[in-house]
This record gives sequence, C-alpha cells and structure tokens, in this order.
Amino acid sequence: MKKIKKILLVVLVLGMAGAGYGFYLYHKKPADVRALTANFELTASKIVADFNADETAANKKYLDKIISVKGIVTDNKIDTTGQATVFLDSGDPLAAVTCSFYEEEALSVKSLQKGTEVTIKGKCTGKLMDVVLNKCSIIK
Amino acid sequence: MQYYKINSKKQTMKKITLVIICLLLIQYSFSQKRYFTKTGTVSFRAGTAVEDIDGINKSTTSVFDAGTGQIEFALLVKGFEFNSALMMEHFNENYMESDKYPKSIFKGSISNIDKVNFQKDGTYPVTVKGTLEIHGVKKEIETTGSFKVNGKTVSATAEFPVTLEDYKISIPGLVKEKISKTAKIKVNCSYAILK
Repeated sequence: MKKIKKILLVVLVLGMAGAGYGFYLYHKKPADVRALTANFELTASKIVADFNADETAANKKYLDKIISVKGIVTDNKIDTTGQATVFLDSGDPLAAVTCSFYEEEALSVKSLQKGTEVTIKGKCTGKLMDVVLNKCSIIK
Repeated sequence: MQYYKINSKKQTMKKITLVIICLLLIQYSFSQKRYFTKTGTVSFRAGTAVEDIDGINKSTTSVFDAGTGQIEFALLVKGFEFNSALMMEHFNENYMESDKYPKSIFKGSISNIDKVNFQKDGTYPVTVKGTLEIHGVKKEIETTGSFKVNGKTVSATAEFPVTLEDYKISIPGLVKEKISKTAKIKVNCSYAILK
C-alpha cells in the first residue's frame, strides 16, 4: 500500500507541476523588448539596403530579431489612440524605417526633433514599403 | 446651302461642348488626391466563449485614390501583437505560417467613391470590393465601411468576417473549441494626403 501511495503522490505532484507550468506558459506575455539585448546594431541605411538587395536573405537574417537602428528622424507622430511612430531616413526615398513604439514610450517620441539622429531598439517584422520595427523604445 | 451651314455650326458646338466636358473630367480626376498611411490598424478577434484570441497590427500600410476609388492595404503578419507569447507563436508558426507568407494584402476599390465629398467634413458610408490575400490564398470580398472626412485627414473604418477555412488556415482538433471558425476583422486607418 505504502509504495502505491508514494507513487501516486509523485504522479500527482508531477501532474500538478506540469499543469502549473502549462498554465504559466499559456499566460506568459511576449518578452519585453526593452529588456532584451539587440541582436544587431545597424544604421537605417544599412538595414534598408540589405532588404532592398535581397529580401529573402534579409528576412532570414532579421525577422523576429531585436535590432538597434540608428538614423535621422524624418517624422514622429502620435495618433489619437496614443500610438507613437517614428520614421527614420535611410537614404532611399522609397523605403524608410518605420518604428512603432510601446504605448508607454509615446512620451519619449513626442520630444524627438525632426532632423536629429536617434538610436531605436525594436523587433523586426519585415519590409512592406519601409522596413518595419515594432515594440520600439529609444536607446539614445 | 444654308441648311448645311446651320448643321455644321451645331456639330461644332457639340464637339466643343464634348471637349470642354472631357477637359473638366480630366481636371476633376487629376485634382482628386491620393491618401496614404503607414500606421493603419488592423485587428482581429478569433476567440470563442472559452477564450479570447485577439491580435492587433499597428503598422498597416494603405493608400487610396479619391478620384478612382482604388484602395489597397498591406500588412506584415509578424507585426501582429498579442497578450500571450504562446498565442503569438501558434499564430505565426501554425496558423498563418508567416515565414512562408509574410504579408497579407487587399487590393480593391470603393464602389461609391463619387458619393464621398472629400472637401466637406462628414461621415460617408462606403462599399469596398476587392481581392483579399491571406496565407497565400486570394479571395474576392465585399464589405461596407465608413469614411470620415475631417479637413485634410480622412479616417476609414470597416469590419468584416473572415472564414479561416477559406484561406486554408487549419485549426488542429485539440484547439477547435478555443478558436472561432470565423475571425472578425476590424480596420481603422487615418490617412493624410500623399504629397
């Protein structure tokens, strides 16, 4: 009897641990990019050039990675819902870098001056017209 | 002789009127502008009573021509944001296969664009028809929406359903209870005049 009880107890504990872990995983929020180290440190010109040269290769290299991108601000806007976006010049008139910010970072976007150089960290989601980063925050 | 002269005068007048009308039409369509955004919002709800499944993309690109009514949207699937890391992973890896199909695109036109007065502030109902491409599958859709003109800004909203099966998005049996067969898509874009 004792042995069976012990075994059952172990199984129960393992089962609960498993369920608990599953529950944790299930409700885990996506990682906060602000706390992560950048995989790449680039200029806006470089990342756009890479995507222009070979989009498939650039996607393989940069998609879902944390990028720290440096560039000149051409525009910064905050829309009516509080969503802040910064556009960086890449030298290519048809393709800039679009940086979509965390809601809490919107205030830091407000104080950015057009024409100044800034370094922004975010996650690369690919290229439409622009190379798009989301979950952004200002580094420098 | 006189009879022919009057006739040719009428003909010339007709021609001149036609030319003037053509010129006005050309001028009218050229003076209509194109509107553009890189920060449009597309969100979806695909949950059931068991669970909420919501994602939002805040970097949708869209352009429309106020003269012809042509309208296009494009978004990066990896740009959808979720509250759950696991949900985002399943969305990209299992359902949308975003490494294979990184973009979703809509190309169509606003059927009643002439009913929208871009020079007058107000809200105008619109009907949009076109081709929606999701997960590599193209399908013709039609939906109603609304254009709100406020000075030089135009905001467009629309809501429509998307049946996942239509786009070959397969839901594994294990989570069939949790994911709705039809996702509700909401579009909300704020456009500025394209210079």
